[in-house]
Amino acid sequence: MRKFGSYFLIVLVIFAVFAYLTWFPSPLEPPYKLIKIWGEKGTASGQFNDPTGIVVSEDHVFVSDARNSRIQVFDFDGHFQYEIGTSGSEAERLQRPMNLGIHDAKLYVTDYWSDQLKIYSLGGKFINSIGKPGTGSGEFNSPGGIAIDSKSNLYIADFLNQRIQKLTPQGKFIRQWGQTGKTGILSGQFNYPTDTAIDADDNLYIADGYNDRVQVISPEGEIVHKWGGPFAINIFGPFNGWFATVTGIAIGPEGNVFVADFYNGRIQKFSSGGIFLNVFGINSAESAHTAIAVAVAHDGSVFVADYTNNQVQKWVQDEK
Amino acid sequence: MKQVLLLILFVVLWSSPVFAAGKQYDLRVDGLACPFCAYGIEKRFSKTEGVANVEIDLKNGLVVVKTTDGKSFTEDQLRNIVKDAGFTMKSMSENSLGK
Repeated sequence: MRKFGSYFLIVLVIFAVFAYLTWFPSPLEPPYKLIKIWGEKGTASGQFNDPTGIVVSEDHVFVSDARNSRIQVFDFDGHFQYEIGTSGSEAERLQRPMNLGIHDAKLYVTDYWSDQLKIYSLGGKFINSIGKPGTGSGEFNSPGGIAIDSKSNLYIADFLNQRIQKLTPQGKFIRQWGQTGKTGILSGQFNYPTDTAIDADDNLYIADGYNDRVQVISPEGEIVHKWGGPFAINIFGPFNGWFATVTGIAIGPEGNVFVADFYNGRIQKFSSGGIFLNVFGINSAESAHTAIAVAVAHDGSVFVADYTNNQVQKWVQDEK
Repeated sequence: MKQVLLLILFVVLWSSPVFAAGKQYDLRVDGLACPFCAYGIEKRFSKTEGVANVEIDLKNGLVVVKTTDGKSFTEDQLRNIVKDAGFTMKSMSENSLGK
């Protein structure tokens, strides 16, 4: 009996060490530092009313200014350049833009209000829109995020339809992951998906919003990985590697995955395989909603849309 | 007699929907976790006839709906609108808006 007790204790200690290392990891690389902040609440150029999405090109930062129904464009130092989606016909104008994508010199905007994907040149010229309200194939119910693969296929986080849709570049339905209108915590099921990202090998990373996890789909369409808290089954928390509502996701130049962890007010950085690497963010006295979306520039600078403070943050990593 | 009739007419008109003010409904909603879902509820209400304004207080899980003059909703109607947006209404309070 005493021998059994000793074995049990050893197993318990091994499990505790395993759980600590697996579920409470420490950063594996130098910290990031905040080097610039710009913006405040308002309607003028350079001001925001609910920034909800962000993406970068070679030399510009594009910010979804949701309640001002526009995209604002800045240089990497935060100087306002121009805005997109505020002129032209109703079809050309934005209503409530969310997460963004850039591919092949085009800006892709998910418009939550019109249930469409709107496509512009990077200079702001309207090209076309894709989709309409609904639950059918190729239709959207409040799209929240977009990613584009190397063949220009589109992957849209169809937020209230609880699914990810894959469409051709022209908007023709190819397939979906998740059951329309049904939430779930099993692999391949979603709970209000908010954003998508594609890496250089066409692996698809999904911000599975209220499941507090990231799911990864291979180019062949199989769910190959998921992470976020113990077992990635909607257990949320403030620890490294855990999330509390995932609202944005982006891939860095080295293939690492950056995740906007909304309720924890921070960005978490992972390897492509989901190994926790780093964490950074600012604390706000008002609330923790200081990181709703993230984008990473070619030089590794990280830009964050700060929902609470109506600002954009720019972070760089200390020398490795 | 003429004055009495005018008074009655005034009272009737004053109490009729023609002069009725709008309503404000404060709805407590479960699971209001981020702007994505807040916008969903706002979108649903903004497409509902008779809704003049919707404000969301994420921190307190509160949805404030103001109606146009004379328009009112039952608790079941409000509960169904919130449900259609994918969420659950926990409780509500109703106030008349001053003219």
